[in-house]
Amino acid sequence: MAQYDVSEIERLIDGQLSWTRVQEIMKDAKDADRFEKWVAILQKRVPWKEKILLPLTTALFIVRKGEKRIVKCRCGHEFGDYRVNWKLEALIHVRETEEQLREVYRGSEQPDPSWIQIREYICPGCGTQLEVEAVPRGCPPDFEFLPDLDTFYREWLGRPLPDEVEFADKTLDTIRTWRTDRR
Amino acid sequence: MQRKAITKSGARSGLKRARAGHPAAGGTLRQKLETNERLLRETGHLFGLEKLRRKETDPGTYEAVWQILLNICNTAHVVGCRVSSSPIAAEGGDALWSLHLPTGEAVCTSRGIVSHPGLLSLLLRSYIESGYEDNPGIRPGDIFENNDPHFGGIHSADFQTTVPIFAGGKLIAWAASVTHVMDAGFVLPGSIGFMNPDCFSDGVPVVAERVGENDRFYPWYEKRMRSRTRVPDWTMGDARGRLAGCLTIRERVLALVEKYGLDFFEDVSREYIEDSRRYAVSRVRTQATPGRIRKSNFKDLAMAGKRVLLPQQNVDCLFNLPLELTIDRSAKVAISLRGASGWVPFGENITPNALVSGMLNAYSHMVGFDMFNWGAVAAWRLEDPPLGSWANPYSANYFAASGVAWAPAVVWMSSLYEAFGRLYWSRGFVEEVAAGGATTMTAEFSGVNQYGLYTAGLTLEQACNGGPARAIADGETSAWCIYTPNADFGNAEVSELYYPVVYLGRNLEPDSGGYGKFRGGLGHTAVWLVKNTSGIEYQCGCAGIRSKVCGNHGMFGAYPTWPDRAAYASGTNLKELAEAHRPLLHERGDPERPTIGKDIKAEVIEPNCIAPFVTPGQLHEWDVIVHPVSGSQALGDPLERDLELIRKDLDDGLERERIASEVHGVVAHFDEKTKHWSLDAAATQKKREAMRAQRKARGVPFREWWQREREKILVKENMAEAVLAMWRSSMQLSPAYADELRAFWKLPDNFGF
Repeated sequence: MAQYDVSEIERLIDGQLSWTRVQEIMKDAKDADRFEKWVAILQKRVPWKEKILLPLTTALFIVRKGEKRIVKCRCGHEFGDYRVNWKLEALIHVRETEEQLREVYRGSEQPDPSWIQIREYICPGCGTQLEVEAVPRGCPPDFEFLPDLDTFYREWLGRPLPDEVEFADKTLDTIRTWRTDRR
Repeated sequence: MQRKAITKSGARSGLKRARAGHPAAGGTLRQKLETNERLLRETGHLFGLEKLRRKETDPGTYEAVWQILLNICNTAHVVGCRVSSSPIAAEGGDALWSLHLPTGEAVCTSRGIVSHPGLLSLLLRSYIESGYEDNPGIRPGDIFENNDPHFGGIHSADFQTTVPIFAGGKLIAWAASVTHVMDAGFVLPGSIGFMNPDCFSDGVPVVAERVGENDRFYPWYEKRMRSRTRVPDWTMGDARGRLAGCLTIRERVLALVEKYGLDFFEDVSREYIEDSRRYAVSRVRTQATPGRIRKSNFKDLAMAGKRVLLPQQNVDCLFNLPLELTIDRSAKVAISLRGASGWVPFGENITPNALVSGMLNAYSHMVGFDMFNWGAVAAWRLEDPPLGSWANPYSANYFAASGVAWAPAVVWMSSLYEAFGRLYWSRGFVEEVAAGGATTMTAEFSGVNQYGLYTAGLTLEQACNGGPARAIADGETSAWCIYTPNADFGNAEVSELYYPVVYLGRNLEPDSGGYGKFRGGLGHTAVWLVKNTSGIEYQCGCAGIRSKVCGNHGMFGAYPTWPDRAAYASGTNLKELAEAHRPLLHERGDPERPTIGKDIKAEVIEPNCIAPFVTPGQLHEWDVIVHPVSGSQALGDPLERDLELIRKDLDDGLERERIASEVHGVVAHFDEKTKHWSLDAAATQKKREAMRAQRKARGVPFREWWQREREKILVKENMAEAVLAMWRSSMQLSPAYADELRAFWKLPDNFGF
């Protein structure tokens, strides 16, 4: 089983290893303690203290905050319960006209806005573009990743989290509380 | 272990040896199949192999024999492609050879198109389930073949040849092969039959039948190929190539059995498959995270107003290609296409069996790199796609066409890349992360070639895309293809020998890998001059493209790659330009002012064609085609792209100034003297901060947008008919999906599009 120094994994994450070395790492058996080292490295890099439970994207993490498990941006902005699609708490900018699409796609590179809209999900805290969707009108936003955190920690890592919660998508529970009128 | 030395007799014909012999071992193949399934159910292990006895007692020989089998299959690939001599096999390597258990499960495969071993496994299984043991019987020297999706094929251009391997009168294995032929006898020339309206136009059928015995094709098989395919020498070349590769496997496996003993061969061939299943489970358990991944994706097929074959094809279609992937506590992977839209009146429907094989293709690219065979299927389950959908059409239309069934499947498979990329990211295996894949816009020519002969067939231009962005680096350029790990677009000079065209360009296409912190590998654009022909048609085909929409691959904040568009011109002034030694047409150019529209004159110029299409008429001498092949998807916020990467791309001509400035937010200067770019880091930082502030200023809280968007949905504002039709069929075929969609937007219970 391969073992790597934390410093080498940091250089791997930061794209500082040679391609030859990256290929060696890719071809070798995977290191069993990667997750622990990965989380430790990321924890050092964020400006807040909440414990990272699982990295979701380059900017978003599931963290423990008090009794709750929430999605948090590296900048510190919080999106709420990890079982609710975090996009519901993001800013969104949608390109749905030719003029709006032109800022990114022009001429023969432009998709048809009556077929597709480009949705940009922005962190209200730092302005990072967190995800982009290219979907037709009517498509609910993708809830890309809903991890089964308790199974992961209890059965795969062998160190259960102290407070088990139901593994369920709670997005529609939130939607049910929303008003459809714009008052 | 008992081993036998290789003797001269080991090189005798396997056919002769097979007949020399022993009675068949007890139990029918059907009984063995049932036993295998019961053992898997009861023990959780394939063939009930709770212990890998041969591996444990002699791991060295176990590994050595695996390498020998790999070598045998890869030798078959070389032999088969050389014998074939058709452009697709010989130049592009679009083929595969594999070794299977008597009950069908793939043991080992060659290089090549790794989407096929699953289908070949299921085809062999179908022989058993259909009672072929009794009628027509399975004998040494038999050749069975299929290309019919109804009975195990993917599309009829992929011919599947299977040859039983007997030792001492006992069936001990199968050798199998697939090659993609140049012309399958579709209603239109070629092998990318997107235009086929129904299965009756899907080409010459070979329906899971015996097509030869005593290692020779029946004469009537060759007659059928000669009268029902357009380039029969290539079609028969492929048939002989498949057979030659299969016989190579048979001879060498029999030599291996002679050396290591039949018991050992039979033991290890099962152990390799169970070993592979364990490997599939452990890769997921050690590198992914249990839970649920969801990824929408969409693919258009806009045919309204174009040259089509039947009136019902004068329609625009949009495919819904949803992916839901769940990983349970035991690391089993379940995949669902709930919400998939309905079948289409084109050759772009696929069977669930073929999708299982496609799933194995994605598995082999993203998860299981070693000991690739049938084993992963026991750890990965594909839920039956919605009945009547593009992914399971026969319940609604048994005559649905599958001329290029891969088309929606490869675009769907691209989501599996991103899904696993997200899982690997969560565990920290950043070196394995990949964004979504590229598309496959094909080019086929049919007509009279430079030798005065009729020709029809596929270039391999689409088989060499940019690779997906990684989490730590850009994707590799022109070195990747979603359906094969052996990306290869063949040599331009060799393609010029096959077709009456001259390459005026084969250029990397700037900015074709999406816009992100890391970009996808770039695609390229082929520019062909039509030459030395009395006329050819250009079929800009869809083997998995998008032309009206972008892929839903904005992973971690990147912008997806642009849609696939092609261009052509006829009646050009290129002859005059050539004679005046002036530049011709060598690249696509600016998307708003394409080179084809400004650098040449022509009677007809189509600078921005929505693909796929067939030219309305033939192209002639000095006509020209611009055929871009896509790059792969990007990853991460484009404002986080490293300045040095941008500077290098600018210097190399791989990024345009507008994209660097407006999408990546850099302040760049071009030095006319040195002809190099420099970036102003401080000014860039300031500019990027301003762009982030602008994002926050113009972004609206999701909930506000949701309210406005809901109202637009209710009145179907600016929704093309193809979008509405897609939603209607998705919601009809998957009621639970419809319920969730209505619940998300708080639409009335009876709401429909």
